[in-house]
Amino acid sequence: MPKIIGEPKKSFVTGNETAAWACLVAGAEMMFGYPITPQNEIMHYWTRLAPKYRRGFLQTEDELSAGFTVCGSVQVGKKAFTATAGPGNVLMQEPFGMAEAMRLPLLAIIQQRGGPSSGTVVYSQQEVTLTTYGGNGEGMRIVYSTATHQEIYDYIIKGFNTAWTYRFPVFILGDGYQAKMREPLEMYDPEDKGIEMVKPYPLIGFDGKIGAGREPQHLCNIYSLEEELYEVVIKVAAEYEAIQDKIVEYDEKYCDDADIIVVSHGIVSRAADDAVKILRAQGIKAGYFRPITLRPYPHKQLRAAIAKSGAKKLLIAESAYGQLDKLTKQEIFGETVKIENLFMPGVGIIDYDIINKVKSVL
Amino acid sequence: MVNRPSRIIEAYVGEYASGKSEMAINRALELKNQGRLVTLVDLDTVEPFYTLRILKKDLEQLGINIISFAREQSFGLGETGAMLNPRARWALMNEGDIILDIGYGVQGAKTLNLVEGAYESPDLKILAVINATRPMTDSVEKIKEYLNDLGRVDALVLNTHLGNETTPDIIKKGNNIIQEAAREALIPIAYMAIDENLRDVMSVDKKNIPAKYIKRYMPGAIW
Repeated sequence: MPKIIGEPKKSFVTGNETAAWACLVAGAEMMFGYPITPQNEIMHYWTRLAPKYRRGFLQTEDELSAGFTVCGSVQVGKKAFTATAGPGNVLMQEPFGMAEAMRLPLLAIIQQRGGPSSGTVVYSQQEVTLTTYGGNGEGMRIVYSTATHQEIYDYIIKGFNTAWTYRFPVFILGDGYQAKMREPLEMYDPEDKGIEMVKPYPLIGFDGKIGAGREPQHLCNIYSLEEELYEVVIKVAAEYEAIQDKIVEYDEKYCDDADIIVVSHGIVSRAADDAVKILRAQGIKAGYFRPITLRPYPHKQLRAAIAKSGAKKLLIAESAYGQLDKLTKQEIFGETVKIENLFMPGVGIIDYDIINKVKSVL
Repeated sequence: MVNRPSRIIEAYVGEYASGKSEMAINRALELKNQGRLVTLVDLDTVEPFYTLRILKKDLEQLGINIISFAREQSFGLGETGAMLNPRARWALMNEGDIILDIGYGVQGAKTLNLVEGAYESPDLKILAVINATRPMTDSVEKIKEYLNDLGRVDALVLNTHLGNETTPDIIKKGNNIIQEAAREALIPIAYMAIDENLRDVMSVDKKNIPAKYIKRYMPGAIW
């Protein structure tokens, strides 16, 4: 692939712009989308870049169509993606479910906004449940929750490779603050960092005659019998579980001797990081644990952090009313550590919010 | 019109996230500190409730008249319709200097057609803010292409920076690119902006381009 960035360089960018450039350097050929704040500038920048680099864009009539056109595009071997938020993410759950059922290497960037319903256009972490377990399936998805522009860039590049390697739908879970805020980003071509992009490949339309020269390629999202479906779901679940250890990512700091471990994800983990450093400077033994993948969840690593620290408490901090909390509890079922909460649905969390909460529960 | 002979009307346009609001705020404060009467207008019709809302009260306390929605004035439009603050439409009827922050960027100075009397005003100056670390304006060719699409521009404001990672070298290299583009596009340069934190390490040749040391307010505005 011809180089786009050339010499790696620092640029001053918004998160949405970061996403568009990352898709470009990752070799995405096509975006399908429908406008919704706060992801609009992903489309705006993609449509400015696409003609210059011979990439495609289609604005569909709604999010259902945007999701399904991605499903179609990846089947013919085109590296395609979409981006959405809030009610758009709700509508896309049907095509996302199809991607789970048919094992399609779909990539979707979610910039969370406030909910329920149209909520606000601004910010939240209220699409955790929807993005990890939305749809009428079993959540066979891979969800990266980013915290910085650099991570948006890096995980989109990685996410395309994850999708085309394992053929589970991949989600980059950002939020409205990350979408709109500005910070420096190192832009690079993946090959300059030793990253080999997985080449997309067609899933249908092979040469030869079915039955004579080859077996049928059966990408199926509907079955006639309960037993057929059962066999498929059990097989896919086993395949998903088998790759979990390779996919899981997390970040952990100061957990060796922590009395309390602050668990957060996404942009809130930046506040948690600052808060824990300040608390440590004040002599309070606070630790930091951040799942980077929300699906699969780094449950073994969090259990290990609890065990080695002997922490008396976890504090789960999120800009939602208990979505990370619920996810975490199901993943570490059986742990007896007391769990405290800082739920601030739809608004930002800063270091002082976490510091005050930690002091109030210790 | 009161104040007519020395009235300043400046409209800040430019690429999304180029620094339009930051330049507009700093310019309004500069004029206020010269003892002038100043009105700062948030003319973002795409995201009308976000740009200056969080800073509104602080800036008003510094003595600037702000035309922008406050929290208690915002209502549930979300992104469902572009809208114009009626006070912004008649902004030029205010006494004193008027600084217009033309938000969002895509439409450039075209948004000014919503402001009564703007294009007829002989005082109006349209200033395009350029940051050469922005990927869409990081080369001479890209800047020229961008300016070509932007419509009327009377002068450029050089605002090369990299947030907290800005160095004098980044500013100098970036501004050289913008200056070259300005020469080729035959557009004059109004001034260059330098973060006041770099005052001690960034020398400025006063014979060259006028420099303004600016304070960054927008990191407090979230969006």
